[in-house]
Amino acid sequence: MSNLYRFSLVMFLSLLSMGWTHAQYSVSGIITDERTGDPMIGASILVRNTTKGTVTDLDGRFNLNFDDNASATLVISSLGYLSQNIDVGPNTNTTLSVALQEDATNLEEVVVTGLASSVKRSNLANAVSSVSSRELTGTTTIQTTDGALYGKIAGANIRSNGGAPGGGLSIQLRGISSLTGASQPLIILDGVYINNSFQRTGRATVTGAGNESQDDGSNRLADLNPADIETIEVLKGPSAAAIYGTRANAGVIIITTKRGAEGKTKVSLSQDIGFAQPLRLLGTDDWSEEKINAFFPEDRRPLELQRFREGTRIDYEDYFYNNTALLSNTRLTVSGGSEKTKFYVSGNINSEDGTVKNTGFDRFSLRANLDHNITDKIKLGISSNYIKSTSDRGFTGNQNNSGASIGYSMAYIPNYFDIRPDENGVYPTNPYFSENPAAVTDHAENTSDVQRFVQAFTLDIDLFSNSNSFLKANVAGGLDFLQNSTLIYLPEFLQYQRGQANPGDVFWGKQESFNTNFQAALVYNFNLGKVNMNSQAGMVRLDFSNSSLFNRGRGLVPGQTNLQQASVQEIAEQYTSEVQEAGIFLQQEANFEDKIIGTVGVRWDKSTLNGDPNQYYSFPRASLALNLANFDFWNSGFMNQLKPRIAYGETAGPVEFGNTFSRLEGANIGGLLGSVVGLQIGNTQIRPETATELEFGVDFGFLNNRFALEATYYIKNTQNNIQDLNLAPSTGVNTVPSNEAELQNKGLELSLSGTVVDQANFNWFTRIMYWQNRVNMTRLGIPQYNLGAFGTGLGTFYYAEDFAPTTIIGTPADSDHPSGFTVWGNAQPKFNTSFYNTMRIYNNLELSFLVEWRQGGDNINLTSFLSDSGGTTNGWFEDDNNDGVPNGRQRPPAPYNNAGRWVQDASFVKVREIGLFYTLPKASVSNAFGNALEGVRLGMSVNNAFLFSDYDGYDPETSTFGARSVDNNVDIAPYPTPRRIFFHVNLDF
Amino acid sequence: MSTLKKYIGLSVIAGLLMVSCNPLELDQIDDPNNPSVGSVSENASRSQIQFLITGLESRHRDYVENVSRAWNTFGREIWYLNGSDPRFQTDWLGQAGREPDRVYFGFGSTGGGSWADPYQAIRQANVLISAAENTGNLSAEEQAAISGFARMIQGYQFMIPANFVYENGIRIDVEDPLNPGPYVSYEAGMEHSRSLLETADELLQTAGSGDFPFTLTPGFAGFTSLERIREINNAILARTNTYLEDWEGVLTALDNSFMDLEGDLQAGPAHPYTGAPDLFNPLFYIRDAAINTIVVVHPSVLEDATEGDARVAEKFFEREEPVIITTDATPLVGTHQDNRWPSNTTPIPFIRNEELILLKAEAHAQLGETDLAVQAINVIRNAAEIGDYTGATDQASLIDEILYQRRYSLWAEPWGHRWIDARRYGRLDEIDTSFDQGSIFLQFPHPQAEVNWDIYAED
Repeated sequence: MSNLYRFSLVMFLSLLSMGWTHAQYSVSGIITDERTGDPMIGASILVRNTTKGTVTDLDGRFNLNFDDNASATLVISSLGYLSQNIDVGPNTNTTLSVALQEDATNLEEVVVTGLASSVKRSNLANAVSSVSSRELTGTTTIQTTDGALYGKIAGANIRSNGGAPGGGLSIQLRGISSLTGASQPLIILDGVYINNSFQRTGRATVTGAGNESQDDGSNRLADLNPADIETIEVLKGPSAAAIYGTRANAGVIIITTKRGAEGKTKVSLSQDIGFAQPLRLLGTDDWSEEKINAFFPEDRRPLELQRFREGTRIDYEDYFYNNTALLSNTRLTVSGGSEKTKFYVSGNINSEDGTVKNTGFDRFSLRANLDHNITDKIKLGISSNYIKSTSDRGFTGNQNNSGASIGYSMAYIPNYFDIRPDENGVYPTNPYFSENPAAVTDHAENTSDVQRFVQAFTLDIDLFSNSNSFLKANVAGGLDFLQNSTLIYLPEFLQYQRGQANPGDVFWGKQESFNTNFQAALVYNFNLGKVNMNSQAGMVRLDFSNSSLFNRGRGLVPGQTNLQQASVQEIAEQYTSEVQEAGIFLQQEANFEDKIIGTVGVRWDKSTLNGDPNQYYSFPRASLALNLANFDFWNSGFMNQLKPRIAYGETAGPVEFGNTFSRLEGANIGGLLGSVVGLQIGNTQIRPETATELEFGVDFGFLNNRFALEATYYIKNTQNNIQDLNLAPSTGVNTVPSNEAELQNKGLELSLSGTVVDQANFNWFTRIMYWQNRVNMTRLGIPQYNLGAFGTGLGTFYYAEDFAPTTIIGTPADSDHPSGFTVWGNAQPKFNTSFYNTMRIYNNLELSFLVEWRQGGDNINLTSFLSDSGGTTNGWFEDDNNDGVPNGRQRPPAPYNNAGRWVQDASFVKVREIGLFYTLPKASVSNAFGNALEGVRLGMSVNNAFLFSDYDGYDPETSTFGARSVDNNVDIAPYPTPRRIFFHVNLDF
Repeated sequence: MSTLKKYIGLSVIAGLLMVSCNPLELDQIDDPNNPSVGSVSENASRSQIQFLITGLESRHRDYVENVSRAWNTFGREIWYLNGSDPRFQTDWLGQAGREPDRVYFGFGSTGGGSWADPYQAIRQANVLISAAENTGNLSAEEQAAISGFARMIQGYQFMIPANFVYENGIRIDVEDPLNPGPYVSYEAGMEHSRSLLETADELLQTAGSGDFPFTLTPGFAGFTSLERIREINNAILARTNTYLEDWEGVLTALDNSFMDLEGDLQAGPAHPYTGAPDLFNPLFYIRDAAINTIVVVHPSVLEDATEGDARVAEKFFEREEPVIITTDATPLVGTHQDNRWPSNTTPIPFIRNEELILLKAEAHAQLGETDLAVQAINVIRNAAEIGDYTGATDQASLIDEILYQRRYSLWAEPWGHRWIDARRYGRLDEIDTSFDQGSIFLQFPHPQAEVNWDIYAED
């Protein structure tokens, strides 16, 4: 959007400049980049407090005519550069040569804050995080967009299901906003409300793990090619996101893709080649005759001892997980355009294997972004994106009985027993668990094939303008169509399948979602004396429809996956949902000479998800920023910005589809269909979850914005939080959705950035971010309860007033605590800190790295629980307290073997990204390639370079339960997180 | 500000004109996936009534899996060995002093299959009765038949939560979801069950003769006439009266039931499992499957068996490879698996002639009618090919014998007979825990959700 903004501004200002032919004096000049000396195309020159201005041409030159002799102030700016104010008059500064400095601290960038407006960061009253393409993908190649946000947004808590290729990440902004929903931010891609759901695959059904939250499905942001992104803006809470209304409780992520620029057509080809290996392995325990005698029942020992004496030792963790995966990412972009039409076209082929055999992720993406001026006053923007992404995510995580999880089965296999296939390809029966994980790895399938089309349009119409005001209309909208075909296949010859009445299990899914959104707004900008006023009014319409069909076949013809080759054919699930929403918004911004900037706005929304679909809920906002340094009394050269700011806003979280229904569900029995009374009583009074947020802070800029400090504190209160009120089950119904709970999140976000060294040959930019959040249940409204993970014996979560819902409790019972159990931990981190650095040496060599440190936050680590049960935890047979009971049977804290043993501190330091790039000097490029090549960039990088943590698992950031808002930090035999190492070549033609 | 207002007005109008329909208007969205409960409350059609009856059969079966696995483990008829989740061993066997709490593993906060599920069947029956009473599409006889059938199922289902929490008592006034009644004692719960069955008996007689007016699943094969359904009702009543120690009542009910001393001991209604889209028989495991989650015969059942007992040969299958579970406490070894189900679509009977004959024996023994008791015992013994009873005929010895025969005749049926029988005769301490170092539970506390409701309702 910022590019779009920039070019619409260019167009707009060019239009305005046409009228002034009777000049009294004129100012002309050239604008250059201070560092490179290159002329800057499209830099804007604006006469302060007017709408008058112009832009630089292809040579960086401009000419501006004044029709009187009054002196004026020119504001010279360009995206990504610090703006400069220059006084001009008939006799002063009529010929300018201005060198603009890069805006390392991003104070000048334009931030989209409203549905039809944007504001310069230095005038912003909220802490809106922006991530540029350079930060997002400039250091290394990350598979998915959300994965590229780790450590780059103060206030974000990002968690991954595991290391399986193809994504599966959840983002929480400023804590927990919802108890039942996923508490995931709204994602808007070029104005389209895109589907970022974690989609069902059916793996948890087939493996018996449980419901779809344990499918380890990907969230569909994985489909977007991160290299297409120009910027990501993150509205972290209601105070910034209020104008988005009903869906903004958990924040809004606004993604803007790259667009074409006027000028020579640029062709750019990038190729990354890399490999991945597990970031961390835990090791497995060795066996001895003594250990066998201690571990196995007496009847079994002779057999085990014989196996031990005859067997070779196999490190199964190494066998299953420690493989080298090949990664390849090819990108081709063509961009350019004329004054009237500009385009950006990109193609991406991403092909990545996983570190577990037969897993991987492939993405093919085509994008065409077009901007066209239909007339001088009407501009059309189109963004089209087709994606096909395929993932094979394998079998890890939880299971029940089926054994179809590598990590789960592996935990039980001693290293002296060989389960690998023999020379005839026959897999030995695993006598220690119900399945041979080698056979599952080699022959089972877990695939998801997504076809997706995202289309956006914007139409900007200049209805009216004069020197003092303008009126614009903006009509925008788009659609997101997504089809996901999934397959889970366990062939009939697998050990567990052979033990079934109908061996062979296939589970086919087809999910379709179609989102459309439409928005129309009028923007009126005018000056009231020295105050620039920007008024907006508009309406929004959203439609979401989803449908899914899952079929299962059991008893398969060997080698066949077609449902008609199954002796038992079954419709496992069919579900459709449809949601319609509409809203109206008004917003008024006032800017007094960039000194005092205020905004008030309100949005009214209604939704068919609510108990009363015709009731409008209102979401007001107000904010104020004071740029003290812009006042005349300010004369500190050291501190050039001091901006206290305060913002308030309200938003909501949507009700889940179906909360209003009391259902008669279908139940088949004995060849007949029955209608059974559902377990939920619908709540026809249900309201959306609402949140209010007060955010305040101070922004500082030092030494002409070479350094910047942003400090923000927020208090976010949510009301009407939806949770199930449990009815007395003796009444034959279990739940009714209720609006009772209230949560409070309070937190602090600090960001210090700046150019530490700024020499011609060496430039070092650094940024340190710190953030912390504290959540508290201020009201529960229903009796306290425990929920999540696997009960008190293994650690669960405590929902009670004045406790954080992230509180982990478990056995032993403790009558002194209101939960009746012992508190063992809290999933919420104490704080996070990230440290980003980029260094440029001799203009050609660039080194960047990103480190994140999370302190505190506990996980429930059931991976250790499994390996303890199977006797394979590294060090199982050691005996730390010398009492004769091995560690694996006696885990502290005492009294032993309670839930506390699995609750572990998940603090870590991760070196997330390291990148080293070399840009060949232009002279050498033209020497070597003549005119064929314009630029060559080479590099290497690492993603997930190092992990430092005392946590006993593959990754402290794991989440077995996907995007669940509270109880996601459970570790059950996840796919190990990979370390990814890349080599990059980038050619510009 | 007047210009502002003008433009706001303009913008709204412009917004409305952008598209031909009003984008601010939302459609009414009904549940696209299910009919609503409200759709049957007034003037339900005959097909809606049919769907509710089949739905009741479905709810009536929901308890089977949980009760079969858990209660039969509590009574050490079986072990439910589960390699994937050790809590099926540690918690269900009461190892290391574990005692049932309000959110016990396998029962959750609602009591699961042992509490919530039977109450769901009870609610389904209430909805069915109310639908049948509020429609003009049924004759009075048909209404009586439906209500009688529904009350019979309720009478059966109330016994499940009652036996689950035993002395803690159950709620019997459960019609209003937002206003459940108080807890009543075990005896009062059983009496409620009896009164429902007696009401059912009257209603089924009112309904006349001939076939039940709606279609029942194959689980009721051979029991589709109103007369035969009444016989099932009386069979269930005999069981209820046994728990109430109303021995005369047991005999009266048995007289009106399908008990047949010469007949097939297997005879009786069942829960059908016909496979997709229906469920499969949840107790079926294929022989010698190389899996580690399976119901196995408890070693004490094998150890205590009488030589030559045909039931042992029929019901227990000795595996080539035992199933071994090595978890927190001692390793458990299962040598025999359940052999009762020829296929995964075999129905599971919920009350059988064999049980009725044993109830007859027990009632006579309790009433001091020794000969009649022995006669009934011998029907069972001879069927098991272990010959006539030759032991002492004092009441205590007869009860010993009957309880022993019940262990093998009713082994691992979806009711937890051994656990309930041992409890009602004060013999829980006789159950052998030496193989698993566990303990025997007396009963469960009320599930947490039940307690929570009372806390919530008080506020």
